[in-house]
Formats: sequence, structure tokens, C-alpha cells
Amino acid sequence: MTLKKQLLLVSLMTLILPWAGFEFIRETESALRAGQQQWLAGTARALADTMARYSEEFPPASGDGSSGDQLYMHKLAKRPIIDGYFNDWSLHAASLRSIRGADGPIKFAIGSYGGAVFLFVEVTDRDVVYATAQTMIIDDGPRYADRVTLVSSSPPYLDESFIFATAAPGPMLSYKQDQYGVAPQAAIAAIWQDIAGGYRIEARIPANLLGTNLGIVISNTGNASARGTRSKSFSGHLPAPVARLSPELDALAASLVQAGTRLLVTDAAGWRIAAAGQLSAAETAASRGSGWSRFAYDMLVESGKASAFAEPDRQGRERQPYISSALGGREMASWFRSEESGRAIVAVAAPIVFDDEILGAVILQQGTEAILSLTNAGLARLMNVTLIATLLVAGSLLGYATWLSRRIRHLSVAAEAALENEDLHSALPGALAHDEIGDLSRSFSHVLRQLGDYNAYLRSLASKLSHELRTPLAIVTSSLENLEHEPLNKASSGYTARAREGADRLRRILTAMSEASRVEELMASIEAEQFDLRTVLDSTITAYRDVYTERAFQFDCDLPSARTSGSPELLIQMLDKLIDNAVDFSSNGDTISVALEDAGAELLLSVMNPGPPLPERMRTQLFDSMVSMRPGDNTRHLGLGLYVARLIAEGHGGRIAAENVEDGVVFRVHLPKFQPSERV
Amino acid sequence: MAMQRQSVANYDATEWEFDVAKRIAIVEDEAAIRDNYAAAFRREGYAVDTYEAREPALNAFASRLPDLVVIDINLKDDVEGGFELCRSLRAHSANLPIIFLTARDSEFDAVSGLRLGADDYLTKDISLPHLMARIAALFRRMDALQKPQGADSQIRRGELAIDVERMTVHWREQPIGLTLTEFWLVHAMARYPGHVKNRQQLMDAAQAVLDDNTITSHIKRIRRKFIAVDADFDAIETVYGMGYRWLSY
Repeated sequence: MTLKKQLLLVSLMTLILPWAGFEFIRETESALRAGQQQWLAGTARALADTMARYSEEFPPASGDGSSGDQLYMHKLAKRPIIDGYFNDWSLHAASLRSIRGADGPIKFAIGSYGGAVFLFVEVTDRDVVYATAQTMIIDDGPRYADRVTLVSSSPPYLDESFIFATAAPGPMLSYKQDQYGVAPQAAIAAIWQDIAGGYRIEARIPANLLGTNLGIVISNTGNASARGTRSKSFSGHLPAPVARLSPELDALAASLVQAGTRLLVTDAAGWRIAAAGQLSAAETAASRGSGWSRFAYDMLVESGKASAFAEPDRQGRERQPYISSALGGREMASWFRSEESGRAIVAVAAPIVFDDEILGAVILQQGTEAILSLTNAGLARLMNVTLIATLLVAGSLLGYATWLSRRIRHLSVAAEAALENEDLHSALPGALAHDEIGDLSRSFSHVLRQLGDYNAYLRSLASKLSHELRTPLAIVTSSLENLEHEPLNKASSGYTARAREGADRLRRILTAMSEASRVEELMASIEAEQFDLRTVLDSTITAYRDVYTERAFQFDCDLPSARTSGSPELLIQMLDKLIDNAVDFSSNGDTISVALEDAGAELLLSVMNPGPPLPERMRTQLFDSMVSMRPGDNTRHLGLGLYVARLIAEGHGGRIAAENVEDGVVFRVHLPKFQPSERV
Repeated sequence: MAMQRQSVANYDATEWEFDVAKRIAIVEDEAAIRDNYAAAFRREGYAVDTYEAREPALNAFASRLPDLVVIDINLKDDVEGGFELCRSLRAHSANLPIIFLTARDSEFDAVSGLRLGADDYLTKDISLPHLMARIAALFRRMDALQKPQGADSQIRRGELAIDVERMTVHWREQPIGLTLTEFWLVHAMARYPGHVKNRQQLMDAAQAVLDDNTITSHIKRIRRKFIAVDADFDAIETVYGMGYRWLSY
């Protein structure tokens, strides 16, 4: 992995920044929420205590489980027109309560406005049976009709019914039935409207006609001769008390509620008896953003129930679990969220307790706009800042890494070039820098310089040594030769003969050692002649066949002629060294292949011999002075042969290299072709 | 024991040789080599004078020139002393045989020495018998030059004329000034024109142990000397990988 990639990977660590920021925002957000919830709970408890002082305003708990039978008297914001339509009731369609009828659902609602009670009933009826004059009034007789009855009572005294039946759709007269009989009620305005698959009745009844308990009974008959089915809104014989807003508590709630909060009070059954205040309507959709900031936001804010559940119940009875819990005596909080706007609402329900009896519950709700906008702004800023920071850090690290790796690469390229070109005293880049790379460069220079000095020393060593040893050797040789002319006994002549042999061998070694410097000299004074390398090789290889009879020689050359310039004798000497080397490293019967090819502007001369591969570590030093890889202690070889070959190749403007090939070693010499315009 | 009594720059009068004995002067700073060579020369019947430096040698030569001088180039601190000496001697006598016998084997030194008029340039690798052969040959040449030319000692190969006795070579009737080594090489090749002489054969002929490069240099020098007389000279052919041959016409 390159330095650049490594640092880029390190720069990914900056992604911790958004994570840490995210955690911090989440922490803050939950702390703020907890704070808000606590404050709200405290307020709710205080309100519950206040409400408990108005215990008489709370309807008594029915305790008989009939609270489901109760109707809820909606407080209407405006006076509905008696026209058979519900859309002017300033209520949501969901406010209609539904019971099961004979032919389908029956929906109804009652509401109050001013001194009047309004009734709306929508009945599903497959075939409407209109009333006649007889069936209009009496329900128990030989003839029957479809009708709606509003049962009203004020236990234990009042028990009466208001009957809505008609002979034809349109405004209708309703009747009141009590223990005294049936009488038309002119004070009641009512209308019957047929709709597809049923009918609707809307009526306005003066409030003073009605008792505290109300219920609805629908009679549905298939024909006038059958009694049909009766569907009731209540289960018992008499209807349950009507649940309604308490004017005192409502006024009290309105005076106690704070801006931006909603205060609801329910009775013990959960019926809403007071409502005040509004949640601030400001939607924060715009600040919520989109894309990944939205994703981050959704990750951050714990999801609550849908915000619709926080709204006051359409049908007047609060049945959310946290309210039920409060009605059970345990204060509880709940969170709501709007999926669309992201708006969050915290709601707290606290029981109102008086004399160890739970009268109802106080519900306090508040939007979390402040927290929300803080969170949103924080998130947005966090994302932007960390994005910029990450990009900046990654960018600068990348730039830094590029710069660093370029310097190191320059250094390594320069060092390699210096090594390759034997230009070991050249200055390396970055030597003036005061950092570690500068140190590295200086150490490199130092090492290279030492290597250069060492190489130079090695190169001169052979010729210096041979020169210095020549005189003492001459002393030894001439002394021995003189000695041979003295009278010697047999043993002495044996010793002198051995001494001569040794001296001869020494002389041969010295000659070999000085060969390199002689070649260098020759190279300096070379008189380049133009010749055909192919002819030279042809002839030379023929000669090798005579000299090395245990080896076969193969010469491949597709070129008709290979003009080059230089000294053919020296090139032959180079070839001698290579062949000598190839012979030494191959076995009897092996074939040594010599090939001459065209390689663009150069000629490629290669000598291949089967044999052991070159050790990898020696590859580059192979052509240096006094480097031999011949196994064992072979005094004949001082490691100068290939060095001489290299001197000759380079002296001709070429280069030499060795390479391992399949079961053998190949030496390749590149030599420039003869260019008529230039002279070597 | 003669060697022990011998002093520097002193002619040893106790030697038994009569005046006709050839007189060889050795100028060599290394006492052991000097004495060894002197002993070997005396054994061959030569009279030997030895000098360890240039000044004493020049002083002695001023009164009497020896018949042959063997000079080392490096004389004590005088690194080029041998060359200086050779120059001075050549100024005295054009015919005095001068041999450089030195440890310096570089091509440059050899060329410099021969250019100063030395008859041969030998490295100290040379064995005493080879050295003796050369010296004998040089003396023979000196003697032959005194005598009238004998036809039997002539070899003619086309334009080439070799006088074996005098060790002289003529090309197109013009003398070619060859050193002893060069002469022997030419002689070895020209004796059997058309035959390839390999390096070993040439080495044996030249009575010297020479490496490949030295032979190459010698052949180059010989060619150059012939070309100086005849620009179209191309009688010596290189047979690559084998040796050289003299082409006859």
C-alpha cells in the first residue's frame, strides 16, 4: 500500500468528527427533551391539584362499566343549518360515532350550540319504509316504519323519547313520547333526507327539552307489517349520562393554559370535559432539510407515535395509553412525531385525585419546536462543518502524502539511477531538507559515496596490486632461474622446480589482474573501425569449436550483416570471457548458443548456456571487479572476466546484462549499430 | 662472490673477460633484481656494469658507452628516470641497443618507451632465458649490420624483404624500423604466408609471454609502421578468433 493510500485511510479517521458531533447533539437533544418533559410533568401535576379543588364539577364515575354507552356532546363552533348535511357541523367526519345496524353501520353525533342540541344520524337502510299517520307515532302496533328515536332521561325522574319518522323526505315533524302519550313537538326542527342505501336525519332540539342522559335507538324494518330490528347506542334499559365539556372547568383551563401548550381535562372515563390552548402551529418542515441530513435527523430523534394520536380525540373520549395510565392513577408521558414535518410533541398525563378517588386526568401537551430547530440547525451545521473538515483534512493529507511520496520517490529514483550509472558522487535530491527525508538523502549520499569509493578502490586494486607485486615476483623468478644454474642436489632441484611453478602461477594471476586496466587503456586509445560483427562471430565461433571440444556451439543470426564500429579484437575478447564463463558453468556435451539479433537501433548479442541459475543477490554485482560466483576456491578466477566483458561492452557504447532463463543463464550484450554519421 | 665485491657504477676489473666481451649496463634501483640479472648476464659471458640511478649511469656512459643498456623506468624517486636516460643515450648514439625492463606494463609506457628509440620494451615477467635470447639477438643484429649483406639470409615475400641476420625488414625496398619483438612476429607470419599463426605461436616466436592485448597492440603497431611507408598495406590479415596470417601476392 502506498504512503498516499495509507494517509488517505488515516484521513478517514476524521469521520469520527461527525460521529462525535452527532453523539453530542443527540445527548443535548435528549437532555433538553428530558428537561421539557419534566417541566411539563410538573406543570401537569400542579394543574391536576388545582382541578381537584373543583371536584364537584366532575361528573360522578358511573362505575357500572356503562361509560361506553355515553354519548359525547360536541361543542360546536357555529350553528349548523338543519339541511341533512354534516359538513357545516364544524366537526371532522371522524367525530361521527358508529354502531352496527341491521343493514350496515349507523353513524351519529350530537352537539350543542347556544341553547340548542343538534342531532345528526346517518342510517344504512336497504329499503326505507316511510311512516303513515298511524305508524308515525306508535311503535308497537300492527304496522311499522323506519325511525330514529332519541331517548332522554334524567334519572330517576324523566324518561321520554323523541321520535323521528316521516312519510316523505324533507322537513319533518317529530314527536315526543312520555308517560302521558305521544305529542308532536313543534320546537324541534328536523329534516329527513334520503341518500343512496339509507337516509339521514338532522335535528335541532332545544336543550331544555332534554334530560342528562341521552341515547339513540334506530328501528329498521323491511316492510310495514314487520317489527324489524332495533339498534341502540346504549346497552341497558336507560341511556347513560351525556358527557360534555364542563363550562367551569373549561373556563378554568382556558385561564390556566400557557401559550404554546394544550391542556385537556378528562373525567374518570376519559371523556374530555375541558380543552384549552393550541400547540404552536409553526411547522418546521423547511428546516428539516432532505437527503442525508434528514436521514441523520431520523437516526437522531427517537421515533414516537404518529403525531395524529396527540390530537384530542374526535369522538371526545381520550383513549391513548398514557391517558389511560393516568386514569389508572399513574402519571405518564408520551412522545409524538409527525412523519411529514418532523414535528415532535411531548405529552404528559397526570391523574386528578380527590379523596383518594381519581376524578379524571390532566393532559398537557407541548410542541418541541425550540429543541427541534436547535437540533436541526446543529445537525445542519455539524454536517457542513464536518464535511468541510473531512474534505480539508483528506485533501491536505493527500497533498502532503503526494508531496512526501514524490520526494521519497525522487530520492529512490535518483539513488537507483546513481547506482545504475555508477555516478555515485552525484548529489541526491532533498539533501538540504531539515527533516527525516533530508537525513535519509544525506545518509543515502554517504552510503553511495562510500560505495563509489569502494568500487573505485576495488577496480584499481587489481592493477595496483599486480603492479606492486611484479617487482618482488621478478626478484623471486630471477633468483630461481639463477639458482637453477648452480649445482643442486636432487632434492633442491625439486624444490626450485616447485618454487618456479608457484612463481609462474603467480605471474599468470598478476597478468589476469592487470588485464582490466589494460583493456581500459586500450579502450581509451581505440581506433574505431567499421566491421561486420556477423563475419567476426562466424569465424570466432568456428575457432571455439576447435578449442572447447567437449561443448557444442550453435550460432543463430538472421541478419545478412551486422555493421558496428569499434574494435573487433576487443569484442572477441569480450566474447572470449563470456564463452569461458559459459563453458565453466555448463557440463560436457552441453550446447552453448550464441545469437545475434536486430534490436532496433542496437544489435543484441546473447550467449546462453545450460547450467545452474545465477544467485539473485549477485545479479547486479556480477559485472563488478573481483566478484566471482564460481563455487569453491578456484584460484584461476579472480572475478575479473565479466568485469572485462563489461568494460568492453560499455566502451563500445553498449551494455551487458545477465538473466536466468529456463534451465540456464543468458548473457545479453546490446551494442549500437554502426551509424555512418557518428564515430564511437 | 664477485657480486659481493661489486660496487655501484664500478666496472669490475677482476672479471676474466677480455675486451671483446660485450659490455652490458644495467640501470635498476632494485638491488636484488639488478644483482640477479647481472649474475645471469655474466654467466652468459657478458661484462656487466650496474647502476642504481640515472646520474651515476650518465657519468659513467660519458666516458665509455656500453654495448647494450637495460633500463628500468622507475629509478628510486625518479619516476620517469629511465625515459630521461634513454633520451640522453639516444642523443649520444643512434645505434646503441636499449632495452626497457620494467614493472610498468601499461600500453602508454610501452609506446612512450619505444618512441624514445628503445629497441625493446619488456616487462619484468620475462624469464631470464627469454631475456638472454633477446639480448643475444640484439647483439647478433649489431654484428650483422657490420658485415656485408649475405643473400642466403634473405627471405622475399612479394614486396617484403626480411634479412634474418640483420633482423631488418624492407617493404617495397624501404626499411621498416621494427623492434625485436615486432621483427620476430613479422618473421613468424611471413615465413609461411597464408598460414594462420595463433597467439601462442606468435608468443613463442617472439620469445615472450604476452597477453592477448599485447599481441593485438603489437600487430597494430606493426601495421601502422608498414602503412607509414605504404598507405595501401594490407598484408596482415586478422583471422578472428584464431590469429593472424601474412597474405602473399
